[in-house]
Amino acid sequence: MKSKLFIFVVVSFILAGVFQYDYDSHINYFSEKNIFVTLPKGKTLEILSFGFKNFVADMIFIWSIQFYSNYSLMNRFEYVEDIYNIITDLNPEYKAPYYVGSWIMALELNDYKMAIRLLQKASKNLNNEWDFDFESGYYAFKYLKDYKLAEKYYRKAAGKPGAPSFVKRWQAHTVYMEDNLTYAFKMWLEIERGAKNKLEKNSALNHLYQIKFEIDKNNLEKKVELFNQRFKKRPYNLEALKRKGILYIIPKDFNGDDYIYDFKTGKIKAKKVFRWKKFS
Amino acid sequence: MKIRAIALNTFKEATRNKIYYLLIFFGVFFVLSSKLVTLLTLGDKVKVLKDLGLASINFFSVLIAIFTGIDLVYKEIEKKTIYNILSKPVSRSCFIIGKFFGLALTLFVALISMVIIFFLFMLLFSGEFDVRILVYFILLYFELLIITSISLLFSSFSTPILSSVFTISLYLIGHVIWTFNEFKDKIVNPIIKTISYILYYILPNLEKFNIKNSIVVNSDLDSSMILGSICYAIFYISALLILTILIFNKREFK
Repeated sequence: MKSKLFIFVVVSFILAGVFQYDYDSHINYFSEKNIFVTLPKGKTLEILSFGFKNFVADMIFIWSIQFYSNYSLMNRFEYVEDIYNIITDLNPEYKAPYYVGSWIMALELNDYKMAIRLLQKASKNLNNEWDFDFESGYYAFKYLKDYKLAEKYYRKAAGKPGAPSFVKRWQAHTVYMEDNLTYAFKMWLEIERGAKNKLEKNSALNHLYQIKFEIDKNNLEKKVELFNQRFKKRPYNLEALKRKGILYIIPKDFNGDDYIYDFKTGKIKAKKVFRWKKFS
Repeated sequence: MKIRAIALNTFKEATRNKIYYLLIFFGVFFVLSSKLVTLLTLGDKVKVLKDLGLASINFFSVLIAIFTGIDLVYKEIEKKTIYNILSKPVSRSCFIIGKFFGLALTLFVALISMVIIFFLFMLLFSGEFDVRILVYFILLYFELLIITSISLLFSSFSTPILSSVFTISLYLIGHVIWTFNEFKDKIVNPIIKTISYILYYILPNLEKFNIKNSIVVNSDLDSSMILGSICYAIFYISALLILTILIFNKREFK
């Protein structure tokens, strides 16, 4: 009797396996499909978690990682902001969901404004952390090309405890990119004076060189144009501006060298060229 | 002396229960399996390890508090062993207090065994020994004592099924009652407002013992709040025990 029952159990398992195999052969688990996700608001889940909100936040976060790693779910990004808002409402001090959520939003969905919204929520909830503002600044700078916005976030990040010196340099660079040259020059001068290593010093000196060149270039090219209007020809060299009383002093570059003046075009060039604006 | 004897006897009886060991086993199992869950996460794995470990210990110790608390008094009545106890010079209040301390000891042993394993586990996988977690376990223990006294109260006059439903309901209410502060100003009717306030202060507020988040994210612990929570627990337990004694004294055993 026992051996018959044993055989029955074995046969039943084999048949179950056959049916599972048949089922699998009809289904493509990785086919593209849409999915409907419904989750209550973070506040509701906080109440429903009955004191286990951290645990619930962890579980939704872990689930979200698997969910956003499944590229067959075509509409998965519809919920991205809601999902990460729920996690961060449940556990506002949990750093990882802010990072992972903003990476998904920015690097996969290319919605940088959404990523910045999540990072700014992090900045509000984790007030002493500088990196969320820094990352917001980076997205605004690199992808939105909104230098004013980027400068605002870099300034916020630089003012927070433990912010590394490169945050200040990014801020100064953004001010330069914004074409606020006088303020940028002031900032870089401050950085140069307080530089603690060669990298910081060189970075500041290069920026000071470039900013001074851009200020002088604007000024000199205007004077050349003024000369042209008055004398119906361009000056042969920059000394001519001084001789005709248009300019009292001919400015030199940050290293004390003369600028290169092109008589044919009326354009001013410097010995060193930094193409930051062109490649930003 | 009588209380001590009843307490020790309650402890021995509770530890003979297989459910008690099963729940401790599951508590430990979930603490250890949290390592597997961290494989699925990104970022701070130690945080997830702590979260899951603390949640597992919390959940299973609450189950122990509810089910052992409900079972023991009812069993004495059902098996009629209570006649033997009460026929001796043992007052009903001694019986209830003895039961409470016996359950408190049972919970202490269960909790401490899970806590030791949790600390060893954390030391092994993260190399850190966060003493602040002990503060959380102390507060959890007081929460468990409140739950025990609630289950003792219900089991003194009700059946185990109803007692467990009532205790679980009060446990859940205890963890959402803080939301009252968010809508109390919206209650216009003065009668409802008064009733709501009375209920708010009568019902247990268990969320104040939940400092898991502060522990896990290493934020500052407010010592006055912790002390206040412990005092709250002591007074709340005292009130519940007195109420249980009053009800139990009125009860007739046929």
